Amino acid sequence: MKMFVANLLLAVVWSLMSERGTMFQLGVGFVFGYILLWYLQPLIGHSGYFTKVLQIARFLIFFIKELIVANLRVAWHVITPASFFKPGIIAVPLEEMSDLEATLLANVLTLTPGSFSVDLSTDRRVLYVHVMDVDDPDKVRREIKEQYEKQLLEVMR
Amino acid sequence: MEEIINWTFQVVVVFLLLAGGIFSLIAGVGIFRMPDLFTRMQAAAKTGTLGVGMLLIALVVQFWEVGIFIRAALVILFLFLTAPIAAHLIARAGYISGERLWRKSVCDEMKGQYDQVTHALSSGKWKQDDP
Amino acid sequence: MFTLAFEIVPIASLITLNMLAVAMLIAMVRLLRGPSLADRVVALDLIAALAVGVITVYSIYTNQTMLLRAGIVVALVVFVGTVAFAMYLEKRAKP
Repeated sequence: MKMFVANLLLAVVWSLMSERGTMFQLGVGFVFGYILLWYLQPLIGHSGYFTKVLQIARFLIFFIKELIVANLRVAWHVITPASFFKPGIIAVPLEEMSDLEATLLANVLTLTPGSFSVDLSTDRRVLYVHVMDVDDPDKVRREIKEQYEKQLLEVMR
Repeated sequence: MEEIINWTFQVVVVFLLLAGGIFSLIAGVGIFRMPDLFTRMQAAAKTGTLGVGMLLIALVVQFWEVGIFIRAALVILFLFLTAPIAAHLIARAGYISGERLWRKSVCDEMKGQYDQVTHALSSGKWKQDDP
Repeated sequence: MFTLAFEIVPIASLITLNMLAVAMLIAMVRLLRGPSLADRVVALDLIAALAVGVITVYSIYTNQTMLLRAGIVVALVVFVGTVAFAMYLEKRAKP
């Protein structure tokens, strides 16, 4: 957290120094500040902040890619006749996780291809997911756990 | 140089506008011709959110100011957080109030898991016996 | 050398406004026809999201950034409305 504030401060200083185009310069300043702090690491002590930023960036890129794929797939489903898809509701068992993590996982699943979270069971062990194309329920379950749940928990912890 | 940058920005804005419009159109058509509540919500929640998000990004690129950026980022963040939650709430309420899946659906592992009176949702075969 | 004979952004925003209007009309058909109340709520939610889109595109078209505030308010209010509808639906289902 302290590192994040320092990085943001460096970005603001950079954008004040530069002549115009504040928004773009703020992003450039953030990247430069990140690199600067990275090289100062032996001086100011090691911190988990650096790997976290990379993880969040990677997850965001993955999420945006999945979002666009999801939309193209929905477009495909809308154009083709309805008899082409096989929807169904599938129960996905979850790891132990906090409220925020469960909410984020449900949101991410809703916005990514083919899946739509319907409800979380009261004891929070199972998330019920509506899936557009069910060929094999166990395969879908494994895919959701391996792709989304693992990555999200990696970023959040 | 100035002109080339200006021109590129305009092309990006036009692209984002048209893509957002097409996705919104797909959301509309999808909600019209999907067979049951859940497939309809898949279409509306995904394409509607991304379509409006793209339009907002087009707005940011067009004006290119910090104030606009912050406001648009606020709306985008809000849309991406609340649209899935709203969809989830309606899906839950719809399922409880007796909305059934499309007759060609492959499987429904949620069937019979709701308590009729308290609306508590059990976790089926993953339920653990300890209290 | 890259000056255009006409402005492309206003034309594109007009086309997009028309697309959004058509999408709204189609969603309106679902709102009127929807077999159950839940279908109608979904359609209403989509129409509200499209309204935010219309406000955005219109502010690009007219160069008026004031309108974006109205967009924020619409996005906020509609979420609350949808949640209220969902709670009503669930209450009504109680035997």
